[in-house]
Amino acid sequence: MWLPVMFLVIGLILGFITNMTIPNEYVSYLTVAILAAFDTLFGGIKAQLDSKFEQRLFITGFFINFILAVALTFLGLQLGMDLYLAAVFAFGIRLFRNVAIIRRRLLERYDTIKKSKKASKLSK
Amino acid sequence: MKQKNRLVQRFMVGIVCLVLGFLVAIVVNSNHQATERDTRDTWEIRTSLLEEQQAQQELYKEIEEAENTLRQYKESTEHQQIDSLKQSIEQLREQAGLIEIQGSGVVVTLQPLFLDEESQEYPSINAELLQLLINELNTAGASEIAIENQRVINITPIRDVNDNIYVNNSSIGDLPIEITILTDNPEQLINQVEVSEIGDYFALENVTISIEAKNEVSLPAYDDQIDLHHIDIVDVTEEGEE
Repeated sequence: MWLPVMFLVIGLILGFITNMTIPNEYVSYLTVAILAAFDTLFGGIKAQLDSKFEQRLFITGFFINFILAVALTFLGLQLGMDLYLAAVFAFGIRLFRNVAIIRRRLLERYDTIKKSKKASKLSK
Repeated sequence: MKQKNRLVQRFMVGIVCLVLGFLVAIVVNSNHQATERDTRDTWEIRTSLLEEQQAQQELYKEIEEAENTLRQYKESTEHQQIDSLKQSIEQLREQAGLIEIQGSGVVVTLQPLFLDEESQEYPSINAELLQLLINELNTAGASEIAIENQRVINITPIRDVNDNIYVNNSSIGDLPIEITILTDNPEQLINQVEVSEIGDYFALENVTISIEAKNEVSLPAYDDQIDLHHIDIVDVTEEGEE
């Protein structure tokens, strides 16, 4: 649990220290990319809770989603249409669904732990 | 084996988190630095600093004057209070251009310029050109201006009506036109007008500008009602306010 958080903090610090900026017109690409990363991350967490995590799926999913989102944004800019909204929409829906599932799993887990504790107390 | 697998798993998630953090930091950075960069060099900054300081000085002076007036009101008796009020009114009337004033100044005469051409119409100017000239005179340091006995105040209209130029709602007639200007420094005003492009613009219309400094000029008072009925204060956000 602590490893991802640490990496997240390291990433944030790295970004702020290098003080890197990108031109305004590329900010939309980055936003979509961030959404893709979030989506992959939550998908990964969900899979882990279901004990169905697979590295290959995780990594390929990350890169493919990333590339697809950026490509869609680029295409949208060329066509003069806000195609990146499609990516935002898809990722957004999946994000919420994944978070809901994660929440359910965690609550279930909490319940089972509580029950087992009660059971152990009773057996004593 | 399973332990190792878990570690790799976490590492993968960690890498994605790293990328995520980095991207978020970049976006935050970019959004923060989207504001305009200051690209002035030292000299420009120094001059603008100087300008601001001068403006500050002037503001201080204004505050001091206002405080003086206030003190006069407070310290004096009723009779004196009325006196100082009258004085203030007189001062304001002078600023508004409601009083005839005399002083050192300049007389600008717009005259027709006749070239050696076979047939030439009698030259005329338009209101736009006259407005240009007024602007030029104001930048050159004119404190009060009168066009053909029509005092120019803050709300004076200069416009074309049926091929005539109207100033303060009355025609000023054909050329030659005489413009009387009150200024503290006639010489500087004359120099500045002479080197400016305004003479060329008038020359295109076959009009010459002749300027003459005078020790004593007299400007008539503005004799109409000042109608501020349709004037409202516009809310303008000051620089630095958001």
